[in-house]
Amino acid sequence: MVHHKECSLLDEHIASNQRKVSLTCVVNGVEICDTIDPTMTLLHFLRDRLKLFGTKESCGEGECGACTVIMNGKAVTSCIILAIEADGAEILTVEGLAKDGRISILQEEFISEDALQCGFCTPGFLMSTRALLDRNPDPSEEEIKEALAGNLCRCTGYLPILKAVKQAAERERKELKK
Amino acid sequence: MLSRFKYLKPHNLTEAVQYLEKEEKSFVLAGGTDLMILLRRNLINAEHIVDIKGLPEMAEFEFIDGGGLTIGASVVVNTVVDSEVVKAKYPALHQASASLASFLLRNRATVVGNICNASPGADLPPALLVYDAVVNIAGTQGMRQVPLHEFFTGVKRTVLQRGELVISVQLPDPGDGDKSIYLRQARLRGHDLATVGVASRIKPDGKVAIGICAVAPTPLRLFALEEKINERELNQETVEWAAEEIKQHIRPITDVRSSAQYRMQMASVLLKRGLSHLITKEDNHGSS
Repeated sequence: MVHHKECSLLDEHIASNQRKVSLTCVVNGVEICDTIDPTMTLLHFLRDRLKLFGTKESCGEGECGACTVIMNGKAVTSCIILAIEADGAEILTVEGLAKDGRISILQEEFISEDALQCGFCTPGFLMSTRALLDRNPDPSEEEIKEALAGNLCRCTGYLPILKAVKQAAERERKELKK
Repeated sequence: MLSRFKYLKPHNLTEAVQYLEKEEKSFVLAGGTDLMILLRRNLINAEHIVDIKGLPEMAEFEFIDGGGLTIGASVVVNTVVDSEVVKAKYPALHQASASLASFLLRNRATVVGNICNASPGADLPPALLVYDAVVNIAGTQGMRQVPLHEFFTGVKRTVLQRGELVISVQLPDPGDGDKSIYLRQARLRGHDLATVGVASRIKPDGKVAIGICAVAPTPLRLFALEEKINERELNQETVEWAAEEIKQHIRPITDVRSSAQYRMQMASVLLKRGLSHLITKEDNHGSS
């Protein structure tokens, strides 16, 4: 966890009239320090500054879930979060799912179940699912639907997605037992 | 977005309210699920954004036996959904919270934000209203408390003055033997605003309380209707009567989500369904 700095009325950016604020956060396990415009969204910070293009922008208003990332353990829509709100936070994006050059069980199951067509919504679905399985390794179908209700897929791939999530949960539980 | 705002995250309340009073074009940021959309659509011109998530009093989420429940302004809706005490003591609030927007948004959207945004169709006010919720407001002149039913003054308008900030919303302990339910009609299951939402409550003394959204310029507590119901014996016949009588107490409009007539009819149906459920589940304390 990164050290959370004080930010108050005397903050440099308020006093100096400069359009810059400093941001420190951990993204996919790497500590990032940057100076940004306060109007920048977390989504644009990830894509434009960090060049992490896995997180997608679609509606830009929190309706579709394409921009979902995990912030401090919770799945959130990064398009309606200011980057500076992530100061001191830990962020996980779809790029952080693979370990040691190998994609995760969850991603493998999405591929084997053809749980994607165009793939644009997939990073969002993966991150919502990751957050779900982290807090509930054995979710019911209702719980899966509830957790994924904020993610829209316009290629109508919901059934394979549900199946992929269930299989990933089962495989992950088995691997944990080992 | 066109707004070129400065961002401020105060760590004490005095600093926050003084800043809000000093700077006219300042906006409060909690979950941001409404504010960020206004900014993105350039519907507001913000010069200052005051992020209240650094204020310790905003994070309060506590139930005290006999005292009640306090929900601070930075408490997100999913925290309320997951709360066992809310599920047991305030079932209508649990149900309203669980029906708000989508899971992803509930990880950010706050209970107090849902009040302050003052949308006529907001899901949480009906449930908060039936529990006699009180809004705690801080200002440069000190603190004041406003009952939630006096908080809304019109569509997207509240009693909040410049330099004032809601700290929390507070609900008295309903005690044992209290029952409530929140029912909402929407165009689809999932992420949609309510066409009509009705919270019904039967207090331990047998008195009824009714809160409703999306049928008037503000969410309403139907005191006049409650009084008429409470003059009668609470049985199925009274419920049928109340379901007709409610139409005299609301003024729905026609919009993209529904016609006025449909809202009128659904308000009637949801009240009947809610109260019927509560009176037939006599022994099921805190049922949903």
